[in-house]
Amino acid sequence: MKSLIERVSTKYNLQEVVQQRDNLVFAYVDKELAIDMVTYMRDYEGYAHFTLMSCVDWIEDGKFQLLYLLNNPETKTEFGIKVAIDRDNAVMQSAHHLWEQIWTYQRELKEAFGIDFPGSPRVDEDFVVEGWDDMPHMRRDFDTNKYAEETYFMREGRKSYDPATYMREKLYPKQPVTAKKNKDEQ
Amino acid sequence: MKQQTRNNKRINIITMNIKDILTPFTAWSKVVQDPVTIKDPLTREAAPRYRGFHKNDIDMCIGCGTCEDICENQAIDMVPVEGVETKSGDSGLRPRIDYGRCCWCALCVDICTTNSLNLTNEYTWVDADPEVFIYTPGVDKKSWDDKEDGWQKPVPNYHFYGQKRVHMGELHADERKDSFIEFVKGYSKEQAEMEADRCVSCGICTATCPAHMGIPEYIAAVRNDDMEEGMRILYETNPLPEICGRICTHKCEDVCSVGVNGDALSIRWLKRYIADQIPADVEKYNEILYTKDIKKNDKKIAVIGSGPAGLSAAYYLGLLGYSVTIFEKLPEAGGMMRYGIPSYRLPYDQIDKDVDYILSIGVDIKYNVNIGTDITLQQLNDDYDAVYAGTGLHLGRSTRIPGSDHKNVYQSVDLLRDIVTGAPVPVEKKIVVIGGGNVAMDITRSMARLQMEKYGEVNVIATALEDEEHMPADREEIVEAREEGCDVIPAYGPQEVIIKDDKVIGLKVWKCLSIFDETGFNPKFDESDERIFEGDMVIESIGQGMDLSYLSEDIKAKMEFGPRGRILVNEDWQAKGLPWLFIGGDIIEGPDVIHGIANGHRGAMSIDEFLNQGR
Repeated sequence: MKSLIERVSTKYNLQEVVQQRDNLVFAYVDKELAIDMVTYMRDYEGYAHFTLMSCVDWIEDGKFQLLYLLNNPETKTEFGIKVAIDRDNAVMQSAHHLWEQIWTYQRELKEAFGIDFPGSPRVDEDFVVEGWDDMPHMRRDFDTNKYAEETYFMREGRKSYDPATYMREKLYPKQPVTAKKNKDEQ
Repeated sequence: MKQQTRNNKRINIITMNIKDILTPFTAWSKVVQDPVTIKDPLTREAAPRYRGFHKNDIDMCIGCGTCEDICENQAIDMVPVEGVETKSGDSGLRPRIDYGRCCWCALCVDICTTNSLNLTNEYTWVDADPEVFIYTPGVDKKSWDDKEDGWQKPVPNYHFYGQKRVHMGELHADERKDSFIEFVKGYSKEQAEMEADRCVSCGICTATCPAHMGIPEYIAAVRNDDMEEGMRILYETNPLPEICGRICTHKCEDVCSVGVNGDALSIRWLKRYIADQIPADVEKYNEILYTKDIKKNDKKIAVIGSGPAGLSAAYYLGLLGYSVTIFEKLPEAGGMMRYGIPSYRLPYDQIDKDVDYILSIGVDIKYNVNIGTDITLQQLNDDYDAVYAGTGLHLGRSTRIPGSDHKNVYQSVDLLRDIVTGAPVPVEKKIVVIGGGNVAMDITRSMARLQMEKYGEVNVIATALEDEEHMPADREEIVEAREEGCDVIPAYGPQEVIIKDDKVIGLKVWKCLSIFDETGFNPKFDESDERIFEGDMVIESIGQGMDLSYLSEDIKAKMEFGPRGRILVNEDWQAKGLPWLFIGGDIIEGPDVIHGIANGHRGAMSIDEFLNQGR
């Protein structure tokens, strides 16, 4: 894979190239060059099988990281092409013209992360969560806990104890509570 | 199939050819072939790292509840479990999982501080009753309890919080060993926030802290860069944060859940960080802590001693509106904190900072007053509504070995006090210290500094009965003493101070094999392993005793005493037999600042309760 990495790195200015295993490489490519590279890998480097497409929300960096994982059936190697796109402008060129099944992934990513793929068939249709009208649920700023609390009832009989409070009740129930006055009590 | 219209009705006409008839029968040819489907998918083993059902090693688990906190689906409850005791470092609770909500994301496994919680790769559990799908892993026995495969935290190098504590800067031993200047530098803002960020906010530490300080809460204040809120949290339970932030024995860190698989949080240094950020300005303190206009009541309390217990009691009584007067025997406040702890560990201005604020809320202090001679305890009882005594342990204990009555055999507490007051301190070229506790390390390191000043070199040996692992001094004290050139030699017991021509020339010691037996303290020695530690002076530092000379005989007659003359108190810290006298601090709990602070706080609340009975 070394020569492949060198060849593609020069052509597409790859960054953060990581050879995870003998048969698996990940690398970042600029958003503008990404689909061109996916096409090149398919047509010229033998990565004819599209394995999957996924996304990671790097909220601290303000980025979504898209991953196109391609497989070369001849060499039995995989190449993961990573692309960072702005969270504030979550739009990516569609790749459904390369493998038809990609539109399904893109539809899922639109629903889960809110990333748009203009021109991708049925990209605006519900994928799994029908009638969802909240923030895309896989974005890390979506408060899953709050949603669970508001949406689902708690099983009857459930009760939880806060460890620190429970230890106080068990071990030092007479601990004095004083001193913390708030401004209004003055 | 075709569609035709007859009599204005649409009808379907089915036309079939021979192929259509025979084709279905071709399927029969598959009858003898192997099926492509799996016969019984329920027995199919999942992948080795599949995220299936939970298991928990309940002996490893400490019930910190971080699994519950991180769960995005509120699928986990922390519940009491029969046979698991609530104790220091263990809440006694264990996670119970509701599979009506769990999504098997494994965040609970990834955050688990003890690595006790894992997911097995078992994924089938069939039952007609939906109410059974809630269980306490490790407690409710399951068929997958012994499965090895499944999702486990991929340690090392996979952690949701930092494993290493942020390094605390210190002066190098060569820079500090000839000076009494504070050598621990304190955290910067960036360092403090980074360290605070490692806290999982479980609160397991709070129970172990004798004062039960709101540790996760004040660490959160550091994270949020809200020092004023941090101060308010500290003062809820501890009115000496500058002092405690430097010399607390930090038992909380011993039980820190992050410390199970990494470095415990630097809780003490974070406390110091908060207090250090507030300038030494009592007006500012009063503003932050809302203590500008405390409404006074008409009751007066006398506090004997301005050590941690006395100051703590005075502060909390002052907050409650009592007029408090502290009677201090020495010329400055602080007790053993000032007169027993060297300034390189606890600078005097930091003691002043804490004390000045306590005085600013209206607490009065009278220095150089000796109870028993200048004023009697009975007079205090007559003049005040209650008396709190936190008189501490200021008397040195002697080994009583042959030669220990020589004039060149000293008590560490006396020398430490003399260093502070500026009284002349004898500094010989070779010094032997007997003792392995923190006070022994304090005098060892203090004498090393004085030797450096006088002779330009260190020649101090500290020897302890305990072996290295069981020496009572904090580990860092022993390490730092050695860094400064002192010899710390554990597991030897003193037998004789060797005197020649009326001069001390050394200490004879035997190897200590054991210290306690079924009768209690009864050290056993190997006489064949004898060593002589050369020294021109010997300092005994094997513990301190109390000076109860302020108790007159008629008052003593009304009180109750336990073994070794210890004053007996009830659970409200009232001296048995004298309901107006409350006792706390080292004379009850043994020497420890944070215990003294906690005692003082509880004593104050007991006095308040006592004085308001029947109101």
